[in-house]
Amino acid sequence: MATAIALHPLARWQTRFESVSPLAWLGLHAAALWPHWRWAGARLADGSDDPLGLAALAALLVWVVRREPLLRGAPRQGWVYAAAALTALATLALFHLPPLLGAVLAVLSLATALRSVMPSGQPWLPVAGLAVLALPVVSSLQFYAGYPLRVVTAEISTWLLQLAGLAAERSGTTMWVQGRQVIVDAPCSGVQMVWMAYFCACVVAAFSGVRDRAMLARLPAVGALVLVGNVVRNSVLVALEAQQSQVSDAVHQGVGLVVLVAVCAGVVGVMRGGRDAQA
Amino acid sequence: MSRPLIPYQPLSRTGRVLWCMALALFSALLMLFWSPAHADDSEALKPESPYFAVNSHEPGTDRLPLKSTTVDVKIAGVIADVTVTQHYRNEGQRPIEARYVFPGSTQAAVYAMKVTLGDRVLTARIKEKEAARIEYQAAKREGKTSALLEQRRPNVFEMNVANILPGDDVAVELRYTELLRPTDAQYGFVFPTVVGPRYNSPAAAAGNGGAIGGAYLKQGVASNASFALRVSLDTPLVVKEIASPSHELVIDGLGSTHVAVSLKPTEKPANNRDFILNYRLAGDRIESGLVLYRGEGEGDENFFLAMVEPPKAVASRQINPRDYIFVVDISGSMHGYPLDTAKVLLRNLIGSLRPSDTFNVMLFSGSSRMLAPASVPATRANIDQAIRTIHEMGGGGSTEIVPALKRVAALPKAEEVSRSVIFVTDGYVSVEAEVFRLIRQNLNQFNVFSFGIGTSVNRHLIEGMARAGQGEAFIVTKPEQAAAQAERLRRIIEAPVLTQVKASFEGLDTYDVEPLQLPDVLGGRPVVVMGKWRGAWAGRFVIEGRAADGPYRQVLTAQQDGKGPSALRQLWARQRIAALSDQEALEGGNTQKAQITELGLTYSLLTQYTSFIAVDQRVRNPDPSQTQKVDQPSPLPEGVSDQAIGAEVPSTPEPGAIAALLVVLGVVVAGVWPSRRRRKE
Repeated sequence: MATAIALHPLARWQTRFESVSPLAWLGLHAAALWPHWRWAGARLADGSDDPLGLAALAALLVWVVRREPLLRGAPRQGWVYAAAALTALATLALFHLPPLLGAVLAVLSLATALRSVMPSGQPWLPVAGLAVLALPVVSSLQFYAGYPLRVVTAEISTWLLQLAGLAAERSGTTMWVQGRQVIVDAPCSGVQMVWMAYFCACVVAAFSGVRDRAMLARLPAVGALVLVGNVVRNSVLVALEAQQSQVSDAVHQGVGLVVLVAVCAGVVGVMRGGRDAQA
Repeated sequence: MSRPLIPYQPLSRTGRVLWCMALALFSALLMLFWSPAHADDSEALKPESPYFAVNSHEPGTDRLPLKSTTVDVKIAGVIADVTVTQHYRNEGQRPIEARYVFPGSTQAAVYAMKVTLGDRVLTARIKEKEAARIEYQAAKREGKTSALLEQRRPNVFEMNVANILPGDDVAVELRYTELLRPTDAQYGFVFPTVVGPRYNSPAAAAGNGGAIGGAYLKQGVASNASFALRVSLDTPLVVKEIASPSHELVIDGLGSTHVAVSLKPTEKPANNRDFILNYRLAGDRIESGLVLYRGEGEGDENFFLAMVEPPKAVASRQINPRDYIFVVDISGSMHGYPLDTAKVLLRNLIGSLRPSDTFNVMLFSGSSRMLAPASVPATRANIDQAIRTIHEMGGGGSTEIVPALKRVAALPKAEEVSRSVIFVTDGYVSVEAEVFRLIRQNLNQFNVFSFGIGTSVNRHLIEGMARAGQGEAFIVTKPEQAAAQAERLRRIIEAPVLTQVKASFEGLDTYDVEPLQLPDVLGGRPVVVMGKWRGAWAGRFVIEGRAADGPYRQVLTAQQDGKGPSALRQLWARQRIAALSDQEALEGGNTQKAQITELGLTYSLLTQYTSFIAVDQRVRNPDPSQTQKVDQPSPLPEGVSDQAIGAEVPSTPEPGAIAALLVVLGVVVAGVWPSRRRRKE
């Protein structure tokens, strides 16, 4: 009977299928979700979002390719079920949800499929995080989270400047410092710093093997670091703007980059702490 | 012997790949049938402030200030002939090329341009747009003074003048003509003096060839240029009232048939807002009449213009019987909030009908069904029944709008009845062109008003339907807007004064008549018909229709044979070009380009496909490569703040994305690399 099955044409095809690398299955799975990638590509190409997602995508690909030899031949059923359900949801989302939400479902489906063939004990959360960050999320984050972030940043900056003895007042997202108006507009919101910090956290966790639970526990600290960093950056620049007639672009860049380095160093420290804890 | 069965395990690798392939196929099929009008935030516009143009690399050095603008308006009957003369002077040290954006009336037919440089007069010729641009670039490179006038939008023009030498005085004279269409017996003439800064989305910029508008002076900074405007008004009836809500006037001759108007000298700048002139004639009548123009040369075309005052709006009891067909989309995409909003809207609309009105409701999705076989009187019982039916309906199915429209067009209608069709839909269909064509074909059967309901409706369809149906579009994005929009529609359509309007000519060979179909006259608006005629004028122009008190017929006989203004040529061509442009906008692409270009060239009119070009054949600038570009700043419209052009208020932006990313990667590598090395060791 076994011979008969082995000789059956369908069985021969089955054998061929089973010898294909898990990465090829993941590739096919990705192909099934092509409308989402098309949307993400168009969004990147039309200039409506910064191409930061490409960096997350590159980091994700490096991570996957490096672990390809360790991937399981037989996927775990539970995760495959989850991946299939997410794929179906992502497809239905084409009709009922905004494209970004559909794309998030799609990348989560792909990340779940990857999880089904990942060896035991490997962290999955940073991988899923990188997959979501690979999408064009910055402009949507700016739209939904930008204004609250600007208000919070402006309010805390006002307190800081008042503590430093400056006459500061907030009106909406505008600050009046020493009688001079400085606005905390969309480019000042800190949304980019949010993306950078979580990207940093995911990459460090993925490549350092930080466990999911440890990473999850440290994510709020990442958020706090970003908020503090943005408030410090904004306060320094607002104080400079209020003192001088015009602050050059180089100063803006310099202050922003220095604070970003500090925030990211803090994120690395927090995540590495997670690694040490689980180790 | 039967073959052994292979156990089917969907979660084996084979099953998984089949699952993926099936999903890929499913996705592909869905995409094929997915309406392109479906809301997609990939088309969302990038938030962006209007741009701020820099005056010059060397402010104060390369300047071409506008010295003066003189506007001379001659209004004869209902035709305004406008001459705008602007003087500039190159006060810089080098030859310059100047770009200046300025407005025009939305109805303007620009037919001539003349550039004067000292004692040299360059008369512009009309050319196909690309050819004119090439000629301009060539002349610019050769160091010849040249001017190019292009239409950026129907009411925004842009002029480039190349090789203006230091000390040059440049005078540009533009001429356009315009038909004044009265509303409620009040005539209005508008001369816009400044182009407001416009937000130009990336998609729109790609479509219209770039940004609109140029440099702007700061808020509160007045232009140094002088501005003078004179209006000479000649009318067959005595001018009873004349006023300007925008400027203070000096009026001479009020109460006669010839009135002269000029601006009163004041401290306040006059060129930062539209000049508006309103006037009324004796008897509060719209000046009905038939004006003829006979071509001067052998084989030249003859033109006519007829304007007929419709009967006055009458008391509501005398108004024509009105019939309303509400066509409601109940397809799947309307399910939920759009349909709930539609119900509120319909309750308000139907609830405000009078017992003498009739109405019907068509609900359509994949198929359509009517509330009643024929329109029913708007009695309380019928209204309650309609509201109950609407209340019970739910959304589901496809959106077969074309069959629904055909069914509406086929509904029988008594001649004296004024029918309004009110579409309520989100417009998620891709058959716009067919819908527009159907509406145009049935224009004498009904007026179309369209309500787009939803947060991301297909505005192309909603607005296009209203334009094709000579009605109006309403967009309702929130349920709380429904009542106000219903009230707005009710006010517009409550008083149709003339229906079944037909224009005919007795004893005369007319052709190329515009518009092809006359819509119902809803009150206060005259019937305007333009066209061409052949042979000797021996006939009469007849407008017929049905008014509230019975058949309406008005006969016009020309007072003179062919002595009318030659501007009729341009006005007719402008009307035809506008119709073709509308058609092109509805169809998309450049489908009417050839016809519009031909009309522009034949009648010497500035259009989206033709431009005016004037070139001085003398080389005046031996080194044109050193020419500087200067954006001539315009004053901001009154009441518009610097915020409109990007306020120069300091902010605290984050560092550039690429630099930030490199820094983060550096930190990551520095943080991860040592531990990996230690692990390897």
